[in-house]
This record gives sequence, C-alpha cells and structure tokens, in this order.
Amino acid sequence: METSFAITGKGYVIVAADTTAARSIVKMKIDEDKIKVLGPHLLMAYSGEPGDTVQFAEYVERNIRLYQIRNTYSLRPSAAASWVRRSLAESLRSRHPYSVNLLLGGYDTSSHDPHLYWIDYLGTISEVPFAAHGYGSYFALSLLDRYHNPEASLEEGLETLKRCIDEVSKRLVVSPGKYKVKVVDKDGVREVEI
Amino acid sequence: MEAISHAGTVLGVLASDGVVLAAEKKVTGKLLDLSVTKDEGKGYGGSGEKVFLLNSNVIGGVAGLTADANSLLNYARSAAQRHLLTYNEDIPVELLAQRLCDLKQGYTQYGGLRPFGVSILYAGYDPHYKFQLYHSDPSGNYSGWKATCIGANSGTAQSLLKQEYKDDITVKDAVGLVLRTMSKTMDSTSLGSEKLEFAILTLDPETKQPKAKIYRPHEIDALLVSEGLTKKEGEGDKDVEMGK
Amino acid sequence: MNSLVQRFSTSSSTPLAALHKAAKVVTEEDDDFSDAAWGSEAGFGNIAKGVPSFAVPAVADPTAFLRLHTDDHADPSCRIKIQHGTTTLAFRFKGGVIVAVDSRATAGSYIASGTVKKVIEINPYLLGTMAGGAADCQYWETYLGMHCRLHELRNKERISVSAASKFLSNLVYSYKGMGLSMGTMICGWDKTGPSIFYVDSDGTRLKGDLFSVGSGSTFAYGVLDQGYHWDLTDEEAQELGRRSIYAAGHRDAFSGNTVNLYHVKEHGWEFIGNYDVNKLHYDGPGNVAGSPGHGYGYDIRVEGLSSANPPVAAAA
Repeated sequence: METSFAITGKGYVIVAADTTAARSIVKMKIDEDKIKVLGPHLLMAYSGEPGDTVQFAEYVERNIRLYQIRNTYSLRPSAAASWVRRSLAESLRSRHPYSVNLLLGGYDTSSHDPHLYWIDYLGTISEVPFAAHGYGSYFALSLLDRYHNPEASLEEGLETLKRCIDEVSKRLVVSPGKYKVKVVDKDGVREVEI
Repeated sequence: MEAISHAGTVLGVLASDGVVLAAEKKVTGKLLDLSVTKDEGKGYGGSGEKVFLLNSNVIGGVAGLTADANSLLNYARSAAQRHLLTYNEDIPVELLAQRLCDLKQGYTQYGGLRPFGVSILYAGYDPHYKFQLYHSDPSGNYSGWKATCIGANSGTAQSLLKQEYKDDITVKDAVGLVLRTMSKTMDSTSLGSEKLEFAILTLDPETKQPKAKIYRPHEIDALLVSEGLTKKEGEGDKDVEMGK
Repeated sequence: MNSLVQRFSTSSSTPLAALHKAAKVVTEEDDDFSDAAWGSEAGFGNIAKGVPSFAVPAVADPTAFLRLHTDDHADPSCRIKIQHGTTTLAFRFKGGVIVAVDSRATAGSYIASGTVKKVIEINPYLLGTMAGGAADCQYWETYLGMHCRLHELRNKERISVSAASKFLSNLVYSYKGMGLSMGTMICGWDKTGPSIFYVDSDGTRLKGDLFSVGSGSTFAYGVLDQGYHWDLTDEEAQELGRRSIYAAGHRDAFSGNTVNLYHVKEHGWEFIGNYDVNKLHYDGPGNVAGSPGHGYGYDIRVEGLSSANPPVAAAA
C-alpha cells in the first residue's frame, strides 16, 4: 500500500515515498516518482486516488512555477502550503474533489529554517517535525515520536528514515518494495540513495 | 497628472533599518474638526488625509484626488487581505504595488473611463527584499526607490534628497532628512502637526515582525521639537514655544 | 428510450460515419471563431472561445443514465453490456515494441465475438490497445488518432508517444466518474525511440517497459515477467508476446479465441499475425519465427515426462 514519510532535521527536510503504482492487486510499475520538485527549495510527496494525484500535483507545480515567473522569487514554504491547502479545500466542495494526500517539505531561505506540512485530501494542514501518510504511518509515527531528533545531522536523519522503512517492511502485510528519497536544504533539492 | 502636481508633497526615504514617510496636508484651517484624529485609544493614528496603513507591513502615502485615493486604498486593503487568506502571509510589498498598478492600468486602456488621479508611495517590509519603497503613478507605472517624492515641488525635494541621501542611512537620520527636506519644500514657512503627516515602518526588536507607526498630531509636534525643527515664531505657535 | 437512441444514432453505422460525425463535432466547436485568428487567438489563448465547453450526453445525469443501461448486477436484462474480459500486453525491448492482444468480446457471460480487433491502429507509428469498454476505447482512440494527425499537420512533425498519451489521459480524466471504462496502452516509436504509456479511465498515465491490462493480465504477467529481458531478439520477443496471451486465453474464461500480434519498429508498426488459441495449445504457432515447434499446452509440453520416482530396485 502507498506510504510516504518526511522528517525535518537541522537545516533540512527529508521526503520519502514508495515507488509502486498499483491497480487492484497488480503492481503496474515499481519505479514511479511520487515526489514533485515544486521549486528550488520545495518538495511535495503525493498519494491517493489514481489520476487525481498526478493531475493535482501538476496543477500545483505549474501554479507555483507561475508565481515564480511573475514575481522572480518563489513562494516561501508556508505560503505554498497555505495555497495548496486552500486549493484542496476549495476542491473538496466542488463537483469532483481531488482525493490527494500530501507531504510538503521546504527550506525557507529568508528565515533559514526547514518546514514540513502534513496535508490531507480534506484540506487539513498541520506543520509538524515529522509526518507520514498511508498504512506506513501507523508504524512510523510512534517510531518517530521515540527516535526523531530536531537537531539530527542529515546522516542521522537518513538513519531514522531507514528505521521507518525497515519497520514498515517488517510488519506491514503489503509493504512497498522501494522508496525514492529526496532532501531539501539551503543548497536546494537533491535525490539521495538509501 | 495635473492634480498630482498641485497635491501636497509626499516624501519617502528608505533606511537600512526601516522606511520613513511624510506628507504635507493641504486641507487645513481652524474650523476643520480634527477631534477624531486626536483620539488616543482608537484608530491607527494620523489625520487620515494622506498617510494610511494598507496592511500590517505596508504604509501608503497618496497624492492627488482624495476621493480616488480612498477607492484605491480600499482596493489595496482588500488585495492585501486576499493574499493573506490565500497564502497565510503578509503580501509582499512589490506585489501589492503591482495589484494596484494592474487596476490603475486598466483605466488607461478603456474608453469612457477616467484614470485614477493618484500617485502612491508604498513603504513596506517583506522577508524577500526586506525594507522597500515604491512609487506608482496614475498610468500604472511603478518603480522602487531609495528616496523619492510625489506631489507639488517634488522636483525640488527630489534633488535635495539626491544630495543628502547616503546608502547606509539609519531610520534616525532618515527622520531628520525627511523633516528637513519637507520644511524646505513646503509652501508655508511653518512646520507643524496641522500641516504634516508622518509615519515610520521598522522591525519590532522583540518579534522581528514589521511595525508601522503613524504619528498622532501631538507626537509629530514632539518629534519636530526633538529634531530642532520647531515652527517659526508666528501666530498660533505660542503654546509650543512656551512648552519648551 | 427510443427517441434517445434515435437522437444518438446515425443513418449509416459504419465506423467511417462515426468518424465523420466526430470530425463534424470538432469543426463545429472551432467555428465559433474566425479562421483568421487561428493559432494566434489574439493573445487570449483559449479564452477567446469563451469558457471551454464539455460534451456530455443530453440527459440530466449522464452517470446515472449510463449506469441504468449498463449495470447488469442491478438488472440482468439491461440492454447494453460492456465488454470487460480481455487480455492485452505490450513490452519494450531492444528491437522495438511488441503488442499482443486476444480477440474475445464478452457481454456478461455471453461471448459476443471471437474476432475483435483490440489493437487500434492510430497511425503508422502509433498503436493503442483496448481493454474495458470496447466502444469507449474505440471511439476515444479514433478521436486521439484524429488529433495526432492534426498535430502533424500543424507542427510538421509527428506527435510523440508521450504527448499523444497525455492528450488521451487528460481527455478521459475530464470524464472521470462519469462511467468511462478503458485500460489502454499507447505504443509507438518517436524521436526518443520505442515507448509505451499505460493510460486508464481513472486518469492514470504511466511510462514503462512492460504492461499488461485486462482480466487476464495476471496470467499474462506470469509468463511475460519470467521470459522478459531487454536483449530479446525479435523472434524471441514475438514468441513471448504470443505465448503470454495464449496463457491468459487459456486460464481466463473472458479471454481467448485468437491472438493478434504486432511489432513496432523504427519505421512504424507491422502486423505479425493472428493465431488461434486452440491451435497454439495443441500445435503451437506453426511455421513462424521463434516457434518452439510444438503446442504451448501443459499436457503437450510435458508429454512423456513423469514425476514418479520409484526405487531403483523396483524399476529393475
């Protein structure tokens, strides 16, 4: 089942999402990237209703890019998250709501701190030190309550992420095989291998 | 445009730790009821003719047709609130200027409509570009400035500012610069709260959030005293002199 | 009901007539604006045509209307039954793309046809497969073909597989929740080489090397995954496609009859052949490249082999 995690640490946010695209009992694809790079310092992991996910993620991607083109600077993570939340909340009462859950991680270059937002398809938003969506969250959240360290170095943060992934692989019946992991910090966005 | 060249001067100076705005009031007189503006507890200060709070991070100074200005002011405040609603952050200063300019430009394009006869100075702060000062004219052009001036005698004021402005000027020095320039450009010889509006935008040392202060008449008088720019001796100024 | 049927029917029932009708709809849409402004649209983009309109059946609630006439769980006597049983597959390898499908059309438990063409030849470089609602796939992929041709005329170059599949996925996404049912693979060769996109009526669009769609897809995957690797020769690849569809045709009650096999190469697609599943079972594909020389069926394959393991003494 679809699972995504995100963890903040000293000056960075790690965002991880599984890479399977499933249709009923069949894995259609095992290397799908479900983390969009929305800007020089902004990442978004998305999951939910097939079709809606990519459509909504691309809608967000283009609007954020449009803002950047119009104003030369990017939206700050908090502003981007608020905009995304509002889009979802407006969609919720429309004829066809987007059923998409999101983790939005970014680095605010003006205040020099990482931000992570947990957003669900109902338009709930919450700024958190760590977050998860999907069945994996039932294992990862307690684990992160126990092991998360806001001052952890990137190496330590990735270690903690690995704990989450290993725990989910160990206990979840239909656990995802592979994850894609991306990091955002003062230097921007990059993909890391775990 | 004509209206603006006759309007009271509005002057802005960008400092390293804040922005200073001053305006010359044209509508004065003994019979004008200013009792509302003297209210200490309520309102945002100022006499509400030329200097307004557009949003918690932006002060606007207007020159031109007052009725048009009120309409634009209302639009600016709505635009700022709309941004707050959508993005949960104070509107970036340039974006607010752009919003107003988009509106102003629209009225230059369609036949049968009269453009807004208003120039505006925007003194503001946002995390992207820190303190900023912008100017927009009735055509919808806008530009950023270190120090600028609109209204009557703006040319004179501008050249004075050009001579005296220094890049690393502080708010404290900027206040002096603004008031001195103002006193030289204003038609009347006397400088006092009944002819002057004044505001500064700084960062709150505690919260690091922008803090706008629009001076009340008695605060302006006190400021003039402390800057050594008290009114020239003459009628109606005695109480100030006596208070010294 | 009769009046509705008449309203949506044309005097001629040939596919050509359907295409003419589709073309007419498009021209009508475009006629709202003068030809002179075409392409520039006076800087207004699609706003010049007003709010984009959206074609749905002229009934109050199209979704309910469709369900009323297609849901045989609620009403077994309903007139329209949508074809669901199918096996289709496509995979990419060094020699291009192999596309293989079965040919059975079922309507409920009734085999409506054994000679359905489930590969839609969009143009000489693009193939689309058909699973789910036959009409939906046929109509929208023909429509896609029309737009691919328009793209070619406007831009003086062929549409990429990526763009064509995105056009289709955006199109079906706009009808999401209204009862469209399609699972298709858009396969072709463009500037980037061979490529396959999976597009379904949820709006999902996936790029990949290997896909199988339909009720028999799990059976096809079982053979396909095990036999697949990038460096397959053309003959091996064609044989793998054939054998995978056979496997599904054999195991899945809703798939079968015959296999249609296509091979997309640099200079366009090529129809390889049509193979009877029963013949494949007993005799194999016959004298074709990659043929194993015998039937695919388990009994035929293991003829003469035995799992009995008697003690040596007893055997002697």
